[in-house]
Amino acid sequence: MLFRRIFQFLIVYIIGIAFLLMIKMALSLSNYVIPGVPLIVETAGQVFKDYFFDVMSTMSVTVLGQCISIVMAFTVGIAGRKSSWMGSFIKVTAYNIQAYPIVALAPIIFILLGDGFIPRLLIASMICYFPLLLSVLGIMATPVKDIEHFYIATGRMRWQLEVKIRAFENLNKLVTVISGSATLAMAGTIVAEFIAANAGIGYSIRVALYQSDLAKILVALFMIGIIISIYQGILETMGEQIKIRWSVSKQGEAL
Amino acid sequence: MNKKNLMLLLLLLLLISAAPLAYAKDIKINYRLKWLFNTSVAGDIYAEAGGFFKEAGFAVHVKEGSPEKNAINELELKRADFGVASADQVIRALDRGAKILVIAQLFQVNPMQWIYRADQPEIKTLQDLKGRRIGVTFGGNDETIMNTLLAKAGIRKKDLTLTGVRFDFTPFLRRKVDVWPVYRNSQGVILKDKLERERERVNFFNPADFGVNFVANSVITSESMMKNNPDIVEEFLNALLKGWEEAMDPGNEEKVLKAVKKFDRGNNNDIRKKQLDATRTLIKPSVHIKIGTIDINAWKQTESIMLGEKQIKKPVYIETRLIWKKEK
Amino acid sequence: MHLECNNLNFTYPDSDITVINNLSFSMDTPGFNALFGPSGVGKTSLAKIIANSNSRSGDEIMTEHIDRILYSYNLERLPGWSSTGNHLNKVTPPEKLSLKEQLIRVFELQDVLDSRFSQLSMGQQNRINLIRYLLQDFDLLILDESLANVDEKLRETIILAIKDLFAGKMFLYISHNLIEVSKLCSQILVFGKSSENKDCSMIKGQDYKKGYQLNKQSLDITMLEIMNAF
Repeated sequence: MLFRRIFQFLIVYIIGIAFLLMIKMALSLSNYVIPGVPLIVETAGQVFKDYFFDVMSTMSVTVLGQCISIVMAFTVGIAGRKSSWMGSFIKVTAYNIQAYPIVALAPIIFILLGDGFIPRLLIASMICYFPLLLSVLGIMATPVKDIEHFYIATGRMRWQLEVKIRAFENLNKLVTVISGSATLAMAGTIVAEFIAANAGIGYSIRVALYQSDLAKILVALFMIGIIISIYQGILETMGEQIKIRWSVSKQGEAL
Repeated sequence: MNKKNLMLLLLLLLLISAAPLAYAKDIKINYRLKWLFNTSVAGDIYAEAGGFFKEAGFAVHVKEGSPEKNAINELELKRADFGVASADQVIRALDRGAKILVIAQLFQVNPMQWIYRADQPEIKTLQDLKGRRIGVTFGGNDETIMNTLLAKAGIRKKDLTLTGVRFDFTPFLRRKVDVWPVYRNSQGVILKDKLERERERVNFFNPADFGVNFVANSVITSESMMKNNPDIVEEFLNALLKGWEEAMDPGNEEKVLKAVKKFDRGNNNDIRKKQLDATRTLIKPSVHIKIGTIDINAWKQTESIMLGEKQIKKPVYIETRLIWKKEK
Repeated sequence: MHLECNNLNFTYPDSDITVINNLSFSMDTPGFNALFGPSGVGKTSLAKIIANSNSRSGDEIMTEHIDRILYSYNLERLPGWSSTGNHLNKVTPPEKLSLKEQLIRVFELQDVLDSRFSQLSMGQQNRINLIRYLLQDFDLLILDESLANVDEKLRETIILAIKDLFAGKMFLYISHNLIEVSKLCSQILVFGKSSENKDCSMIKGQDYKKGYQLNKQSLDITMLEIMNAF
């Protein structure tokens, strides 16, 4: 699964480069507008090491941000699952905020908190938090009647059991939404860095843009693509492992 | 229909058919600027607004620039006929094989300077930069200029603190950075005004005072444009520079500010006036200097700085790309 | 032990259809009783009303010596994250462990305890669900088609075992099986077809116990009575 993802990305990337080169040839553009393959390769050699660290920096923010938002989403989602006024308030707030492009708040966050790790982390967390929260809320607020009835009727229901039942029954949905939020977190972090940070691959892209250096931008895009493919592949593999360990197919059918 | 009515109808038809002919006479030109519309491009705006382009038979679409929109790219992609680019952009493009020529140099003095508070010791020599917290745009030409200054003075990076800056001034306003890069005639005016309201005075640090002449915005066109339409190039340039001369004339100040105001919504009238005054000193530093004059030595110095900073791989012999218009 | 229903009326929410119309009946002794009738006639609705009678206002349902009422149905599931045996152990009170073993034998579930719920057949799933209800404290247990998809012979074995092991409890068995309820149930509340404007009637069943002798004639009479009331 991991290698398939990387392979798919490489195909898309190579097609993209080929397309650019076609335009370059057709319009006889210089290396300034669209760099040729030798220039891209040469630039890659020059910036690879720096960009690798930049991408790792962005990645660390992304992963940590996603972890924080998963923990927060589950905490708030579990707390807000009842239909008390608190639960309703949390639901309405989450629904309204998640429609807003959080990344547009990036400049304000950077102005108030300065450059550095924490503002980038905050943006990465906020971007994937609200969609995650809504999914978790939806799952946690929906009773699984057929399983829960026995425990409620016999007075054995506890909130931990209720959460476990609802999470388990919606495992597929949870894994999907967590994998999806990885891309969201990465994209959001890069955009935030692009707008207003002083580290990370988004920032490096902005610097390359100042210099109108498309070769550097293409190298940066390549590294982003590889890393995000690897990350998503890992997440999906982990999800599959959890599913295999926790649940079994019906009637012995292969998963 | 009687004779009189027939004559009137014929006259009407003639006028209608003549109108497109009149427009067809105007050559359509796309002119891409380097940055957003503001007072720094007063001459470019006024050349159009004051009818100088039209007089020369051009229908010019003056388009503002941005980080994504690059005049050199536009020339190559044939989306622009003329453009404005800074010297570092031009030299970097030539290093990558772009086929462009410089036909005029707008800024005789580079507006790229640094602002600092007057309550700090004045920067009289380059050694005074030691120990200061200096802002530079990483990857920008202000970084190149600062590196050149430091190299010239033999100052090592650890003798001071270089911080990467963004668009907003907050670190400077909060005194986290002492020396902040600005365009003297645009942000410089705004910041000076802002600080003076807080009763803080400022000074400007100009690299040119220390012998580092890095050329700024210049007018460019493609080699093919020059080869195929040299007359258009000459006439366009004449009209443009005429527009600039008029825009820089204090007598036309009110008209010029009115024309700029239509495009520059961000500032108020007072700021715009101060920006125009500052622009004047950079575009036409003395009455003897003709607007658009190309300072070949400054260009050569710019190229050698970039070569020294490894911004370009090999010399581009910039002097072979500088075309000065023929005197009429 | 006494279960009484007085002039009960029930309409589905957001509907004009009266499902239960002025129903009255009483069941006076522990035993294995049935609710019998066509689909949609209100058996499950009545069962749920009885199950919630302790928290319900109104005195249509009255009980005596019936403190704990449990309601089980055929679509229930056990959690899927560990084996059914594991889940069963967790809900078995310590004093009922031997009863659990006995029930597992009777219900023929020895071989599935290591499997997860989703790996069981539907019949096995319903049986394991019923076992865990039987292991709880209750005075009245309602079985809403809780033995669906179980073959007839095993169903009979199970019901006879329940009657034997839980003689002091009351059961309400909802079923569509005429022979089964006629043979094995003590009191059968038959729901008449609403389209024919028939009321409910209480019919006495054969109430066979373990090791019974089949009396075909009596059985036929009971079945006829039920069919007439239907």
